[in-house]
Amino acid sequence: MSEFVYTAVVSILQLLVVLLLAPLATGIIRKTKARLQNRRGASVVQPYYDLTKLFKKEVVLPSTASWIFRFTPYIVFGSTLAIALLVPTIATPVPFHWIGDIITVIYLFAVGRFFVALAGLDTGTAFGGLGSSREMSLASIIEPAMMLAVFTVAVTAGSTDLSIIVSRLSFTPVSIIHPSHLLAFVGLFIVTIAETGRIPVDNPATHLELTMIHEAMILEYSGRYLACIEWASQMKLFVFMALIANMFMPLGIATSFSFVALAIGLGAFIVKVSILAILVALVESSNAKLRLFRVPELLMVAFVLSLLALILYFIIGS
Amino acid sequence: MKKQEYIHLLRNALGEILTEELSAAPNELYLALKPKALSKLPDVCSLLTKSLRGQFVTIIANDEQSIRGLFSLYYIFSLPADDLFIILRVSVDAQHREVPSISSSIEAADWFEREMKDWFGIIAFPNIRKLAVHPDWPEEVYPMAKEFNPRQTIPRVKGTFDFRHVEGEGVFEIPVGPVHAGIIEPGHFRFSVAGEPIINLDAQLFYTHKGTEKIAEGLTPQRALWLAERISGDSTFAHALAFCHAIERICAREISARALVLRTTLLELERLYNHVSDIGSIFLDVGFSVGAAMAFQLKERFMQLNEMLTGSRLLRGMAAIGGLRRYPNKSQWNALHAELATGRVEFNSFIDLAMSASTAIDRLETTGVLSHKDAYRLGIVGIAGRASGIARDFRQDHPHCSYPHLQFKVAQHEEGDVLARMNVRIDEVRESFNILEQLHRQYDHGSIAATSEYREASGHALGYVEGWRGEIVHWIMLDEHGKIYRWKITDPSFHNWRALKVAVLNNIVPDFPVINKSFNLSYSGNDR
Repeated sequence: MSEFVYTAVVSILQLLVVLLLAPLATGIIRKTKARLQNRRGASVVQPYYDLTKLFKKEVVLPSTASWIFRFTPYIVFGSTLAIALLVPTIATPVPFHWIGDIITVIYLFAVGRFFVALAGLDTGTAFGGLGSSREMSLASIIEPAMMLAVFTVAVTAGSTDLSIIVSRLSFTPVSIIHPSHLLAFVGLFIVTIAETGRIPVDNPATHLELTMIHEAMILEYSGRYLACIEWASQMKLFVFMALIANMFMPLGIATSFSFVALAIGLGAFIVKVSILAILVALVESSNAKLRLFRVPELLMVAFVLSLLALILYFIIGS
Repeated sequence: MKKQEYIHLLRNALGEILTEELSAAPNELYLALKPKALSKLPDVCSLLTKSLRGQFVTIIANDEQSIRGLFSLYYIFSLPADDLFIILRVSVDAQHREVPSISSSIEAADWFEREMKDWFGIIAFPNIRKLAVHPDWPEEVYPMAKEFNPRQTIPRVKGTFDFRHVEGEGVFEIPVGPVHAGIIEPGHFRFSVAGEPIINLDAQLFYTHKGTEKIAEGLTPQRALWLAERISGDSTFAHALAFCHAIERICAREISARALVLRTTLLELERLYNHVSDIGSIFLDVGFSVGAAMAFQLKERFMQLNEMLTGSRLLRGMAAIGGLRRYPNKSQWNALHAELATGRVEFNSFIDLAMSASTAIDRLETTGVLSHKDAYRLGIVGIAGRASGIARDFRQDHPHCSYPHLQFKVAQHEEGDVLARMNVRIDEVRESFNILEQLHRQYDHGSIAATSEYREASGHALGYVEGWRGEIVHWIMLDEHGKIYRWKITDPSFHNWRALKVAVLNNIVPDFPVINKSFNLSYSGNDR
């Protein structure tokens, strides 16, 4: 019985945290960026208002769009929610960790990306095609870098299961300052920037269609479809931050099932994600967007850092 | 060289085919080409540009059927060495409106010839591709001919844009506009790309054609000035001043020293806020939002300064024939220079910070290169020309306003990339601060009245200023009642749009917006 309660409570909490806090993280990034530009900026809860507004708005569909265009928002939203069940946020292990490991997470993201790229092509507009082609060519270089960064952590922790990685690290906090761990952190951070379409790889705030990557694919979306995609993007960024936060700084995460532990876990988690959000905003503010053909060089840095991390692990040992 | 020497030189080279005509302004030399020597037109023009180092400025077509029973074309060349304009007048028969094309030797004339075909029906074969009217405009309806009534509605015909199609494996077209994201004027672009690199760019402009030149005909200069301020919002004062210059030259009107200083001040203030704004926009387009935000803050300060001084952020309602509409009082004048001193410090620290952002500078270097050769070939003017090593600045070549009494350096860079165009702006902003400081000392709180009264006059003359984007040249002909008979506006954008097409070649599509912004051409000034 308690097994069932544990599963239900932690899973629901898990979903709620990701669903409800993801827009806040985006809000914090935007607010920080605004302050760095000497602007007052919109309130940190503005993304919630935006989503509410979009859900109320009418949907306009391009006449050329097929079912792919209409299904994609739900597929993206659904796959991101599924990931939310697998990535530990406030407690570990997550009840459904046996469903899939970190490789499942990576490929669930790939499913979402695949469909968004298809939907971009589906509208038949020049910008959609442009965005899809850029997204897919970047994806093919982001993926190896991401795999290597993640495997480095998996090797150091001895498992690809996210919950087990986080649990082990939280019991041996000293291993956090292991050099290979720190290098892998930087590698994964770069990958996060690239994967979630932030500066210097992509500019989520631009109005220039010709420069867009992710935004170009979703230009034709409106109303609740756009809300789903926007929300899913925010959750994707949030989940990536959760991954980094708990894989590299698992401090405070709830390892037992009690109210106090969960409350501490939630508090610690919010602090960690806020710090990461501010870090993302700092990176975005101090850099310009890279030339499209320079992005592989950046990802090569992530790749090499992860590789070094792996080598260091075998040389120094745990 | 004096005017007579030029005439002598041309006659020696070409024979007796040119006759001198009357000119209202001392630095304009009008030469009429004899009708039977029409076929020599390209030779005369290449002699002027190649041997005499003249620079092509503009072509003015004029329906003079009511004056001399024919059309006239005025080919204007600038001779910076002698502060002289040589204006070649060619008569065109009203029934057979054909002249030899000069754009095979002077490529800069290409768009001007196409425009005169679209608006006057004067054909410079083979340069007949539509430019200034859209494809749905019927053939043989020429909106600038005198018989055309601007109030009528013209039924449109079917037509499609005549784009140059590029074919081949993996080549596809990206249509952009005419409505763009953001606050940008309308224009339709058609990119042909092979993957990301751009292999051809075609543009359809003239969406913001307002018929300014046509509707001004028959107005008094005082009323047309109101239109001049609205040719291109970012160059409000420069255009209005170029207009005033032309009228003042026709009427031989002297301007008080105090008005000259203030006019120069306003020109430099216009340059200041536009350059700072462009620097910000360039940073914004490469995603360097902190740099952009800093520049836009500065721009806002300069615009508020404009408002403090003149009551208008865009310097509207200041220009007047014979002087200025209003004069700032002593406290406003001193406040201006106190503000400019702090603005200068802030600008320098902003540039220091922005130039240390290596990822931003990396995006600007080697992007959108306009080689010196291409810039020279296309007759590129203003900041775009100066960034490609063309030292062409009317402030120096044809000194007007207070510029003859000022010390300044013409900014020049050789690389021709986006960074060079930004560096020209940075140098010019710094130079503007110097100029404004000198003007502060020269300002004389004495008389503001023009030294001569306004009197109605007829005739024609050029009016020009170096606006922030480049040279702005107006040519005005007043009829016997002192009303406008013909007003030709040449905005630097009309010269420079073709540079954009060349500069984007082999660049990748996502770099187009920043290349475009580095030129920042005016659609409104181009389309008029």
